[in-house]
Amino acid sequence: MNTHYGLTILVAEDSPVDRMLLSTIVSRQGHRVLTAANGLEAVALFEQERPQLVLMDALMPVMDGFEAARAIKAMAGDELVPIIFLTSLSENEALVRCLEAGGDDFIAKPYNPIVLQAKIKALHRLRRLQATVLEQRDLIARRNQQLLDEQRAAKAIFDKVAHAGGLDIPNVRYRQSPRALFNGDLLLAAQAPAGQMFVLLGDFTGHGLPAAIGAMPLAETFYGMTAKGHASGDILRELNGKLKQILPVEMFCCVALLDIDFHRRVLRVWNGGLPDGYLIRADGSRIALRSRHLPLGVLAPAKFDGHCETYPLQDGDRLLLLSDGVVESRNARDELFGEQRLLEVLERSAPEQLFDRIEQALAAFHGQAQDDLSLVEVTIGEPPPRATPSLAAPFEPRALDWVAEFELRADSLRTANPLPLILQVLLQTQPLRPRAGAIYTVLAELYSNALEHGVLALDSAIKRDATGFAQYYELRRQRLADLRHGHIRLRLQVHGDEAGGCLRIGIRDSGAGFDVVRVLAEDYRPAGLGGRGLRLVRQLSDSLEHDGADGLIVEFRWGARA
Amino acid sequence: MSDEHLDSAILVTLQEVMETEYPVLLDTFLLDSQERVLSLRRALASGDSEALRCAAHSFKGSCSNLGAVRLAELCFALEEMARDGRLEGAAGCVEGIEREFAIVGILFRAERQRFA
Amino acid sequence: MTITSQPSADGRELTIIISGRFDFNAHQAFREAYLRPDVSPQRYVLDLQGANYLDSSALGMLLLLRDHAGGDEADIRLLNCNPDVRRILQVSNFEKLFVIA
Repeated sequence: MNTHYGLTILVAEDSPVDRMLLSTIVSRQGHRVLTAANGLEAVALFEQERPQLVLMDALMPVMDGFEAARAIKAMAGDELVPIIFLTSLSENEALVRCLEAGGDDFIAKPYNPIVLQAKIKALHRLRRLQATVLEQRDLIARRNQQLLDEQRAAKAIFDKVAHAGGLDIPNVRYRQSPRALFNGDLLLAAQAPAGQMFVLLGDFTGHGLPAAIGAMPLAETFYGMTAKGHASGDILRELNGKLKQILPVEMFCCVALLDIDFHRRVLRVWNGGLPDGYLIRADGSRIALRSRHLPLGVLAPAKFDGHCETYPLQDGDRLLLLSDGVVESRNARDELFGEQRLLEVLERSAPEQLFDRIEQALAAFHGQAQDDLSLVEVTIGEPPPRATPSLAAPFEPRALDWVAEFELRADSLRTANPLPLILQVLLQTQPLRPRAGAIYTVLAELYSNALEHGVLALDSAIKRDATGFAQYYELRRQRLADLRHGHIRLRLQVHGDEAGGCLRIGIRDSGAGFDVVRVLAEDYRPAGLGGRGLRLVRQLSDSLEHDGADGLIVEFRWGARA
Repeated sequence: MSDEHLDSAILVTLQEVMETEYPVLLDTFLLDSQERVLSLRRALASGDSEALRCAAHSFKGSCSNLGAVRLAELCFALEEMARDGRLEGAAGCVEGIEREFAIVGILFRAERQRFA
Repeated sequence: MTITSQPSADGRELTIIISGRFDFNAHQAFREAYLRPDVSPQRYVLDLQGANYLDSSALGMLLLLRDHAGGDEADIRLLNCNPDVRRILQVSNFEKLFVIA
């Protein structure tokens, strides 16, 4: 076997005879030889020349081989510099010392050139192996860094596309690591034109890029539809349809959606595949927001069920959603955090401290921050300040004069929500744009008033307590599903010129009608939620009146721009 | 104890390895060994068993490399004595090493002649 | 994790037996178990007696099997689920897609 792999080898040996013999053997085998007569010289030579392999006598004057070996190994760091101890030491104890000092092999005197050559070769192989491992380790570290950089960049893009500032709402508190998106977690929040708030916590199967890519259309659809004022059921149907279409069969997204109406104090919630969320009352009592549906992206549109559960809300209520990373997380001892631990925290903590307590419990359990779980809490109180609509455009006064009438019949009432479309139409009139939110709220109130109390003949008195509340919404769902006759007529009239103008909304329904005058006159109805809607309309609009022919008439007026 | 003073097989290997440097190796051994014997004497005189052990150990190594088997064995015996602190027999052992070194010296000088 | 499959005598039913952790590592083995070239079953039984853990990629694999077995027409029963496995299936409401016994 030839030795074309010529190494630089350091021979450290105090006996001139042995040194001479060894250097001759080694150099005849094709290596470059450096010689040292004691440990100190050996260390200095190593530092200067960085040989790849060392032949080291154990007992030498000035500094012995053990100490020199330790110094050399320390200098070599991660690189493997094999050290072969030259020794006639026969006692086990001495051999152990050689190993402990970092020796990789021994060779006994008298030296056998063939054995020595074989050992050098074997250790050289080991050296190359180690170098490859180090190279690959460094490569992996570089790649990983690259991946993290790319993920950071992708996250930044995603935030621009998706986070229309929704999570900055003051009554939302959340915790989500920057890596969450690539763990498949997704947290979206948006305010709808009518002022309700939508919060969506999602968890895609799988990790990494596929999950992050699925998140994009989901977020876009979510923000697009909430901004246009679509109802939660429609949003969910659209999200499901989109994900079903784009995701491979084995991928899906567990989602919980909160649709919080701050004005009417109503929560609608849909949970498909996420762990229980919670509605926590100010007195600490809890309602589990349980998963009742398959995750999004599993069912074909025709089979999808976007039906939400409805709960009344009060000031001080809190809504809590968690990703399965919370309950499923394991600590260093491979113990599961588990549902029981979470329930204990829920049991022990005052509602306003709950979020902190859960975080503390997780930190105590894991001993460090976790990067694969998401947690969000919404507090019910005053409606959050509305984000300024981004629809602002230069004001161009011009003459306006039009009337539009819509008649929505049973089929439309059952399946479609006309409000987003109507709002789009109205916002073509620029002076109305600054009041888009108020107009939408008013439209929504008028529409649901006409639908629920008119067409569906529901009595809001049912909603006096929590049981009745659920019953009311169940009844609403049933009657709507069975609806075959009935209609709602909407009349929109816009008239204006440079001096100002007016939007007049008229609404009438096929129902038996109710005593609007009485409802409007009643300033205080403690438990009835029905009157609250109309009072809200009166507050948000410039006038609200009842007209025998046109039903309810609401006006929004504007003046000339200063 | 070996019957032979020198292991001829080792000498053959050394010739092969060292080629023209073979006589220089032998010269180096003879010169260095005188040094080693002196340091054995010094260590013995001062009663320093650790110094005696190291000197014996080191000398043993080069003797063994050069095929001076009997000399290596004597050094090993001395090393063991020094390690165990049995210095009473050490003087006799050092004398034995000196005698054996004298013989090995003659044999090596003869070997050297053949290559001169 | 081990996955084996056993066709019934008439070849109309394939029983897939899963033990250990049923997670993303099982992907290839699970595919091979239900894509056996020697049988074309009409019904599938997943025996999860030995399965002590199931993650979301396992749920994804169940959806793949369902798709392979005819989608909405698929006849798949999940047997012997332990409480942990059953809980995971319940949270995802998979009982709407599979018979879980």
